[in-house]
Parts: sequence; C-alpha cells; structure tokens
Amino acid sequence: MPEKTFKLLEVDLTNKKTRTVDVTEDVKKFLGGRSLGSKLLWDRVPPGADPLGEDNILYFGVGPMTGLLGSVTNVTAKSPLTMLRGQSNMNGHFGTELIYAGYNAGVLFTGKSDRPVYLYIKDDRVEVRDAAHLTGKSGLETQVTLSDELKEGVDDQNFRFLSIGSAGENLVRNADICHDFYHHAARLGMGTVMGSKRLKAIAVRGTQGPDYAHPGKILRNMKRILHEGRQYRAENRRWGHTKSMSGRYYATTEGIKNKQKGWDDMADLFNPVLLEQRYKIWGDSCHGCPVACKVPYFITGHPWGPVAGELRHDNAGGWSANAMIAGYEQQGYLCSYVDYLGLDSEDVSGVVTWMMECYEKGLVTQEDLDGIDLTWGNVGAICALLKKIAYREGIGDTLAEGLRFAPAKTKTGSEKFAMTGKGVAITSYEPRGSMKDALDLAMTAVGEIHGDRGAPERMILDSLTNCAFWRRYVNKIFGDLAGWAVPMLEATCGWQYSPKEWEDLVMRSFHLERCYSIREGYLPSRDDVMPERFFEETIHNKYGEPKILDHDEFLEKRKERYLSYGLREDGTPSADTLEDLGLGFTVEAVEEALDK
Amino acid sequence: MGHPNQNQEGWGQEKLEYPEGVGYISARWDLCVGCGHCEVACSMYHYGIINRELSRIRIFRYLLPLPKSVQNVCSQCSEEERECQKACPEDPPVIHYDEELKHMVVDEDRCLGTDCGECRDACPADIPRFYPPSHNFALVCDLCEKKGRRRPQCVEICPTQALEYLSPHIPQHLERIHPDEKAASIGLRLHPLPKDGVIRPPEEVFGGEDNA
Repeated sequence: MPEKTFKLLEVDLTNKKTRTVDVTEDVKKFLGGRSLGSKLLWDRVPPGADPLGEDNILYFGVGPMTGLLGSVTNVTAKSPLTMLRGQSNMNGHFGTELIYAGYNAGVLFTGKSDRPVYLYIKDDRVEVRDAAHLTGKSGLETQVTLSDELKEGVDDQNFRFLSIGSAGENLVRNADICHDFYHHAARLGMGTVMGSKRLKAIAVRGTQGPDYAHPGKILRNMKRILHEGRQYRAENRRWGHTKSMSGRYYATTEGIKNKQKGWDDMADLFNPVLLEQRYKIWGDSCHGCPVACKVPYFITGHPWGPVAGELRHDNAGGWSANAMIAGYEQQGYLCSYVDYLGLDSEDVSGVVTWMMECYEKGLVTQEDLDGIDLTWGNVGAICALLKKIAYREGIGDTLAEGLRFAPAKTKTGSEKFAMTGKGVAITSYEPRGSMKDALDLAMTAVGEIHGDRGAPERMILDSLTNCAFWRRYVNKIFGDLAGWAVPMLEATCGWQYSPKEWEDLVMRSFHLERCYSIREGYLPSRDDVMPERFFEETIHNKYGEPKILDHDEFLEKRKERYLSYGLREDGTPSADTLEDLGLGFTVEAVEEALDK
Repeated sequence: MGHPNQNQEGWGQEKLEYPEGVGYISARWDLCVGCGHCEVACSMYHYGIINRELSRIRIFRYLLPLPKSVQNVCSQCSEEERECQKACPEDPPVIHYDEELKHMVVDEDRCLGTDCGECRDACPADIPRFYPPSHNFALVCDLCEKKGRRRPQCVEICPTQALEYLSPHIPQHLERIHPDEKAASIGLRLHPLPKDGVIRPPEEVFGGEDNA
C-alpha cells in the first residue's frame, strides 16, 4: 500500500489563485489542526504583523482522525483580539467533508480579497466565487442561501458550509465563524480575520473516501467506544453541555453578576432538566460521534416570538446568572440573537457584563451608552447594545474593540471591572472556586481557558482534531490519550510512534504555540495573571462558605506548573528544550523577544 | 458484536427478534443524529473500506433552519410498488427482488450505471446510488445478507436505535419518502419559524426602537 499522504489546499485571496501542497512530512511532526496551525503561523506570518492585514493567514485545520471521534475543525490565525496566537475549535461536519474532498491537511487562506467572495470546493474543483449577494446576511441565512443555490440533486444536500455574520464583516474583534447554525469557531476573533479577508463563506462537498491504512482496526475501536462509552452518551445526549453549568454554580466555579457574587438564586433557573423537558426538540451529532450532545431548543412562548437555538456552557455561561438573565426563555432569545449577529457569545458577554457593572456603579451613564438602560437582566437593552457592537455604531464602535483595547478608551476607573486575561473575557468561569481553573485561565498562551484545559495533551488533541468533550471517556476506556491515539494513528496513517516520539509530539505542539505568542509579545510572568478582584474580594457560595484566591499560593502553583511543562520558573522555554523537540528554528526569535 | 440490545436486562432492553420472512430497514428520522456510523458500517461490510459514498444507506443533512439529518435506505418494496425494477431497461431486470434471499439484488456486471440511471429516477426516494468509476452500478440495500443470513450492520451499530430491522407492518413503500420530504416533514415541528431564521430580531419586535 502506498504511504498515506496529506494535502493542504492553499488559497491566495489577493490573486484568487489556488494550489495543493503535499505536507506529509509536517503532518508527521505536527499532525494537523492546532499544531500544524502553529507551524504555519510561525512560517507564514511575519513577526508583528497586523492580524487584520494582508500578511495574516487563516487556516482551517483538520487531522488524521477528523471524523472518527467527532469532527473538529481547528481554526488558526493571529488573533485580532489578543494580538497573540489565535485559535478556535468548531465541531460539526465541516472537517470531515474537507477530508472527503481530498484536503486532509485542511485549507489555508493567505492574502486579502478586494471584494466579498466565498470559496466553493467540490473535490478537485475549487473556485473563489463572488459573494456580493451574501453581504449583510447572518451566518445562517448565508448558509441557507448557498445550500439552495448549490443544490442540483440530492447528493448536493451534503454540501457543508461555514460563514461569518455582520460582526465579522464589520471587523468586530470578537466575531465568530458559524457552521451548521450552532457550531461556532467563535473564539479569539477568527471571524474577524475571515471578515478582514472579505471571505464570507466556504462551501465544501467531497466524494472521495479517506483512504485509511487499516479501516478494520478503526471500526473495531469505534465499536468499542460506542459500547463502553454508553454511560457518557446517556448523560450527554439528554442535556448536552449546559449540564455542567448548574454543578458549576454550586461549586462556585461559574460566574455570577460579572463575578461580584458567589451565589444568587437565579442560578437555579438554569437547570438543564427544565431545558430538556420544556424546550429540547431533538438530538444532533457531529460526524463520526455517537453521543449527540447537541440538544437544540425551540421556545414558542417567548413574548417576542418563537425562537430556536442551542445552549451550551460556552455560549450561555457568560450570560445566565453572570448577566442576571431570568431563565431559559430570555437566555434562548439572547443567545440566538448573538448568533444572528455573528458575535462570540462567550467573549461579548464579558464586554457587556463589564458595561453592566460600570453602569450599576455609575461609571458609565445612559448617555454614554447611547440611551440604553443597561440594567442587569434587561435582555432588550443587551440586544440593543449587541447590535451597536456588531455594526460598530456609537458606543458599540469602542466596545467592538474587545477587552484588550476597549477599557483604555472608556472612562478611567472602569478597567478594573473588566474581567479579562490577555484581552479575552473571563465570562462563564469563576476561578475563586477552583485554583485549577484559575491557573488554566491565567496560563494559557492563547488567552482563553478552553484552549488550555488539559494541557499539554490538549494541544495534540486539537491537532488530531478529536472532540475535547469525549476525550475524558475515551481516555478512561483506553487508559489514556496515547492508549487510543497511537494505535489510531497506526490504523489511519500506518505510522508508528514510540512512547518517546509521542511524548515529543505532545510537547512540541505545546511549546510551539507558546513560542509564537512570545514572539508576538507574550511574557508569561507578566501576562499569566488574573484580575485583582479574584484575590481581593471574598464571595460566598450558596451555603455561606467564603471563596477567594490566595495570591502567593497562585504564584507558587503557577511556578510548579511551569516546571511540570518543562518550562523555566518564569514560564519561558529554554533553548535546549526547544532544540530537543525539533523546534530549534524558534530559538533565535524567542530569545530576541524575551530580551526586549 | 451483536445487536445493541443483546445481553441487556431490564425493562425496554429486550432483544428484538429479526424477521424471518420479508424484512426491511425502517428509519426513524426523528431519532437520526447524523453521526454516520451506519454509513461506515455499510461500506466496511460490503467493501472493507470507510467511504460514506459507497454506503447503501445514506444520511442527508438539512438546515430547517435547525440542522437535521435524515436517513435514506431501500425499503424493499412489494412487487407492485417496485418502481426501480419496473424501470430497468434490461431483460431480465438488473435490479430485482430475490424471492429466495428476500432482498433487492443488483447484477453488477450487467448494470449500465450512470449512463442509464433509470432505477434511481424511478424511485420516488432517489435511493439507488452510483459511485463511478470504481462502482458504477446501483448501490442498494441487501440487508447484509450472506449465505442466506441477513444481519443489517447499520441497524446493529446505530447508536440511537434510529434504524430498526422489521417485518412490514405497513406497506413498505409508504416509508419510501424522498429525503427532501422527510426534512420538510420534520421541519413542520418548527412552525412558524421562517426557512432561514430562528429568531425575530428585536428591531422588528420594537419597531426600530430596540432598546426596550
């Protein structure tokens, strides 16, 4: 059997040219998705590049196992929100379709189009097409329009789409990329970069098999997961990923009222059993995943009309009790509107709740907010502000800059109420209930907690492009991630990795993205910190127990964790470590950046 | 691996007996989550490779506008309703029901493939699929029959029991519904949402003054 090869589709948007590149050797070292994205960022984007300029890339990464344990697509670009390494994952069906089209190392966009375009991919046929008729449409409207346009026969029904909404077109720094309505690569402004390239959407349909080395082994593992993971499937297909929220409220690990409180009775309004029994319409899965943790709701009783959508911890946690929203009907309307505008729900909820607290404290007035009465839980007011942000109107133009840039542009004294790390909003999580969460939140080199939970293996998981939710159970079934991933790499690619090679793969992936962020100005000891509130203000849980973080303990644990990753005490990598991992090409630039 | 219910005790977990006479795969669209395990099991069983496009059961995904997947698989119609067999220009028909094996059969060597496509066009559900150039003949469900033993792999792997292997209780052709119509039917559950939206934006609600 010929050796498995990996093809990357490169699209030069400036010149509207496409080509296919064999990247098999890089895939062996970086696997794909997030890690290969780091390599592409390092190689292709000049130091200090403007994230919204022509020099930035936008990479939709897949990997050797996309579609075999969920179908993650990892999106990479330099982030306009943090100015560091940007990345975001979305699940769904897009990645698998890209592989079926023959691009099993993903698609890379360079340059910048002079007019709105979308990319059409059907197997070998790749075209940069005019998208003037899609401008101004929401992510979902865009996808429905393209779906109708491209459908000739029933087989075309399986075109998969991703698109940006108005926020992305208007370069709001935390704009999202939407796929299949409720899958979003929302974090770190990936939709903003897509908007800056004037790329409105991608449509892909593939009809070629993935050509695995040992499909029989793959099917055996799929069946094993199916049967031994029964318990996990039962939990998740009922409540999806809102199920973690109520537990988090009780553990004081979920934010309330922009982190001012440790408990409020409103938290109990977000009971996933009510969501399931009242509003769940059906279950839905990503490609290759038997869990079906998507549990879309359809709410008919809202006074503003019927509304549908999907609630998860990610898009709901930052609102809910954090914005004092009165239950699922209001929450359902709000989250659906955020998607309609094309904003990152998690990040923009942090911007809005920051303003809510400032308004409560009199630091900003109704006049500052263009007449909006931004009281807690006022969904109409929140929607009005969101619209201003998405279209960059009035106060919205400032808030659209995100929490790295907006606080400096507003009145003095408001900054300390912005709950942020590296410019990313800390919304759903409340670190005072968990030092581990605090460290995860603070120490990530990409600036957001999802990207770092479970580091260093997390980076390789996002490179294999497997679902991060499933992994804990798959790890249980197979012992650990390597117990599953290494045999599956052999089954899919015919490649064998020794334990040492696997360990290097994991650490290479972990270090490379840190190196990239360091090159762009990240200094771990200065930037791996938390807002003062978490160390200075004691909150109380439902049962009156006090919760606060100890700063010395935080610093001590942070140091321990740096060392456990093979970093120096100050969180920087040593040249020897980088050389050992095959990352010698980063040493000079990293040392130069740290000398500054 | 056996039937998903096998060796499970307790209420609602009894093992379903497979049909001995006429049988077909009945799809519950409402339970389909679109994971594609059935397609993997089918292409593996028949060709030893993972390729959704070679599967005789297919999943089609719609934006209603909430995403929804529906299955499409041959319902082994009764003789009178067997439009594919009637439409086949060859004599005897390339695509036909084998009375002994009790499932549809395609004589691959004689099939004219996409040059013809009459069976696909005649089937109201667009079920026969072709995969040229390597498999340019009608791909239709054979209930995974080998040496007279029928054991549909898609039914056995389906994680949500959205596929059942049944004796006909209603005329099978009544399940022979085009995926577009299946999707539209499920979409009725979302009435009165528009086709391309899931929310009435606040500016409509408040008539332009959207800061309630």
